[in-house]
Amino acid sequence: MLQPLPSPPDAMPLREALRGLRHLLRRGGQSLRETVQPMTLPAPAARLAERMLREVEQIARGVDEAASGLAKQVLVQPGPPAPTLQTMMRDSDGEAAFGSAGYAALRAVLDQLAAPEVFVSEASARLAYRRVAGVQGLTDVAACEAALTMALLDVRVVRDASAVDVARVPGAALAPVAVFAVLLWLQSERPEDEDEAALASAADLSVALCREVVAACRAGDVIALAALYAKWSAHV
Amino acid sequence: MSDLTQGAAALPATNEPLRIAVRRMRWFRAAFQAYVEAMGRQIGCVFQIDEAKLAEIFVRWLEAVDRQRPRDKAERRAFFEFAAGLMLRELTTGMPVKAAAKPTAAAPGSAAEFWPEGYVCTLFCLTVHSAAMAQEYQERPELAPDFDDLRQWWSFRENAGQDAGFSVGFLQMLLGHQPNWMFPDVFRARLQTEIATG
Repeated sequence: MLQPLPSPPDAMPLREALRGLRHLLRRGGQSLRETVQPMTLPAPAARLAERMLREVEQIARGVDEAASGLAKQVLVQPGPPAPTLQTMMRDSDGEAAFGSAGYAALRAVLDQLAAPEVFVSEASARLAYRRVAGVQGLTDVAACEAALTMALLDVRVVRDASAVDVARVPGAALAPVAVFAVLLWLQSERPEDEDEAALASAADLSVALCREVVAACRAGDVIALAALYAKWSAHV
Repeated sequence: MSDLTQGAAALPATNEPLRIAVRRMRWFRAAFQAYVEAMGRQIGCVFQIDEAKLAEIFVRWLEAVDRQRPRDKAERRAFFEFAAGLMLRELTTGMPVKAAAKPTAAAPGSAAEFWPEGYVCTLFCLTVHSAAMAQEYQERPELAPDFDDLRQWWSFRENAGQDAGFSVGFLQMLLGHQPNWMFPDVFRARLQTEIATG
């Protein structure tokens, strides 16, 4: 009798580790150069410091390239557009689907907001999803999105954002605005060929609603957040 | 005089009724970009669009529409035109377009030459309104005979800078209707005027 094939191992933890390593190397190299600043040192020390920095950066680049190569092997291939949150919640594999769709969407939104260096944690996205999916009686979609927003912020799905002041959003608002944009997009009605445009629009809407979104998130006001989702998801 | 039917060709295709599509940020943005680009080609002018401002304008417009939307379906038709006026109010207040230089192909002394940004925003609102009216009511609103009268556009630019609500009345005037100049951006007040003037 044929035995069922074992499920392939979940590559998410490895992806997360590699992304974390690359983030650390990139940020570390940048921080080191900002801290040492060879230009401010007297000539002989400046030359020495510059050489040292170049060598450290070369090592970091080598590790980064190796990590990138590995990451490419375990990255999720782009699949069909993400289903709505409601569909994910019904699906037995909703947690993984939310993790990968949420990660990709957050990355795209942060790029749009000119904050590509901010770290996004797929593992945290899954954790937040588990917390909310486990809550009984959370049937209203907007209320579910509001709870998920608070959970995603609580597990710090977006990290190192507070130090990044981009032109459109202050650093402290970056995480709430990006999370709101992604959940707004997930719930929006959109044909497949408008998926990307819908995400870009959700990001723009979220920036325009920044004050209300941040105020609701800071206050932990899930009712206000749910009202914002209920009102704006039809307008993405 | 500008042809609204021709301008409607610049609007992106959608499977939804226009009244729904225009309330979606992605269609609104695509439509505005396409229209401004087409109008820029027509009058010989390169426009830059501030996307962040456009998103804020869209949010303020929808909030204004939701605040004033009548419950009575009989008022829906009149509200279509009013909503276009509210859109113009938000566009002229936030002004998301900037002409890189004076138009090179606009008629001398025309509204397009005088105020290219205001002109393109106004035409966009009129075009969307006209296309939506054609779809919903099978009719194309006509522009007032003095649409191109530069004195009106002078007045529009001057007054809209001081009182944002003026834009709503201006759009109604371009469509040949008499606005309530006391409260041009209050739908109820406009209805009362219409009732009073029969």
